[in-house]
Amino acid sequence: MNSISISIVIINIILALLFSLGAAPILVWIERRVAGFIQDRMGPNRCHIKGIRLGGLIQSFADMLKLVFKEDFEASGIKESFFFSLAPVIVFCSAFLTFMVMPFADNLKIGAQVFYMQGLPIDLGVLWFLAFAGLSVYGIMLGGWASNNKYSLLGSIRAGAQVISYEAAMGLSLVSVLITYGSIHLVDIVNFQGKLLFGFIPAWGIIIQPLAAIIFIVTAFAEANRTPFDIAEGESELVGGFHTEYSAMRFGLFFVGEYVAMSASSALIVTLFFGGYHLPWLNTQVLQNHITWVLAFIMIALPTVSFFFSKWMFNNNRWLEEGNIRNRESKLLFKVIIGINLLVILGLGFWLSLGVEEIGANIATAVIQVSTFAIKLLLMNFVFVWVRWTLPRFRYDQLQDLGWKILMPLAIANIVLTATIVVVFGV
Amino acid sequence: MGIKIVKREGKSFKDRIYLPAILGGMMTTLGHFLRNLRDTSNIKTLNYPEEQPKDITSRYRGVHRLTKRDDGSVRCVACFMCATACPAECIFIEAQEREDGVDEKMPKVFTIDLLECVFCGGCVEACPCDAIRMDTGIFTFVAHKREDFLLTKDKLLSFEAKKEKA
Repeated sequence: MNSISISIVIINIILALLFSLGAAPILVWIERRVAGFIQDRMGPNRCHIKGIRLGGLIQSFADMLKLVFKEDFEASGIKESFFFSLAPVIVFCSAFLTFMVMPFADNLKIGAQVFYMQGLPIDLGVLWFLAFAGLSVYGIMLGGWASNNKYSLLGSIRAGAQVISYEAAMGLSLVSVLITYGSIHLVDIVNFQGKLLFGFIPAWGIIIQPLAAIIFIVTAFAEANRTPFDIAEGESELVGGFHTEYSAMRFGLFFVGEYVAMSASSALIVTLFFGGYHLPWLNTQVLQNHITWVLAFIMIALPTVSFFFSKWMFNNNRWLEEGNIRNRESKLLFKVIIGINLLVILGLGFWLSLGVEEIGANIATAVIQVSTFAIKLLLMNFVFVWVRWTLPRFRYDQLQDLGWKILMPLAIANIVLTATIVVVFGV
Repeated sequence: MGIKIVKREGKSFKDRIYLPAILGGMMTTLGHFLRNLRDTSNIKTLNYPEEQPKDITSRYRGVHRLTKRDDGSVRCVACFMCATACPAECIFIEAQEREDGVDEKMPKVFTIDLLECVFCGGCVEACPCDAIRMDTGIFTFVAHKREDFLLTKDKLLSFEAKKEKA
């Protein structure tokens, strides 16, 4: 262990924390603002720290603080206090651990050392995800049962029935994907997708395996307990479903766990079907070979994007009252944007004038890939939110019909088809 | 009698795979999202309380007021017609003799309990002297104590009619 490997391990852990745990407040914010915009209203936009609102992001931190300082109430009817407290921990930990195998970037090569760019440096990939994602439902069932409340119990029964109806289809849809890629290690899977199909189409999973992609995305919504499959929560039917009796941070763990699970599902969807950390047409080798051009492109693209963003911000980030403290925010953020632009352009220009060496090219590639992964992850999370505010909830029996009668036969047919093609054409 | 064959919806292949309909719905919501994101002034909600509603007309039944004569004295003659017409029985009047010769009677106490009032406008309809109106345009009335919701005669006289915007 030298200082480089230690620092890279620490950076990986920080990145994994940022993408899963740190993403939770941002996802809550995205959820509420997107819901507002879809329904033609504003969403949270008042909360501010000295006038800084960040479009309402501060509200998430206020809500978090509220959850932490609320009374942790436990009804006297709860007999199994230990299991009652254990349930949210299981949900949270399993959601959190699923994220640990998602690669943020291609293996980083520094000198003779090669590092996995993921939270835990293991190559179990898809298996790890399936194992821990399946575990989270035990937390839900345990919590619903320990609550000693009929609504909660109904919620957890529904969660159990939901799990057996979609997990089969989910696993089977993954089998055909794994046959195609020939590996369970996510870095191998992403590098497979870096190739080009017929010389010009990126060989992304959604193009090679469209049926598996649809089945997996549908089941991922059930996995993350999101609408249209949030029947375990079912607030219009079951009060709060499995977390009816929970309050304060015990509820907060369920709540954060749901968003972390959603983020982990998005990460796996991105990794399996949308090229993971690869930019389209630019896989790791291409990126490393043409790093000077890519950096030069960033030096042009960043000010352009910043210009349009600033224009949008000055038009929309306003407060009605003149002289309100919130009206100072846009000017302040504009200064920050200019500062970042100057820093990046001067830094990159200085670096390019010195000449980029191999280690530098590798690190720059890793940074670009991490950013690509973050943007793809954000877009996939947006799809999750978008679907939630579009579709109504499935009925309990409809979900089981969908899982057993439609998705599972489709997944099996897809396996047969994929296996035949792989055997006959020897791809 | 001919047989009318009702066309059943939702049985075609396109309907049964759900996805086209789901994508259509998602496009609708995305349209709303992008339109509102591009320019938040497209959103029609008000930033209440900084922004007040602009569609309160002169016929809106707001908080009551007692009108005045030309000399500024109370127009009410304490005839009890409004209290009789009131379905919520929220108007409390005590009459007294009027000394200045303008009229014979006037209210000594005229109290409306806003917590009981149903804002039906019955009192306005019943008044023979046009002495009570509900044209103040006040649609929120807040207080800290129950007693503060009792509008006394002085308070009712102090309200003015809502001015129409030109």
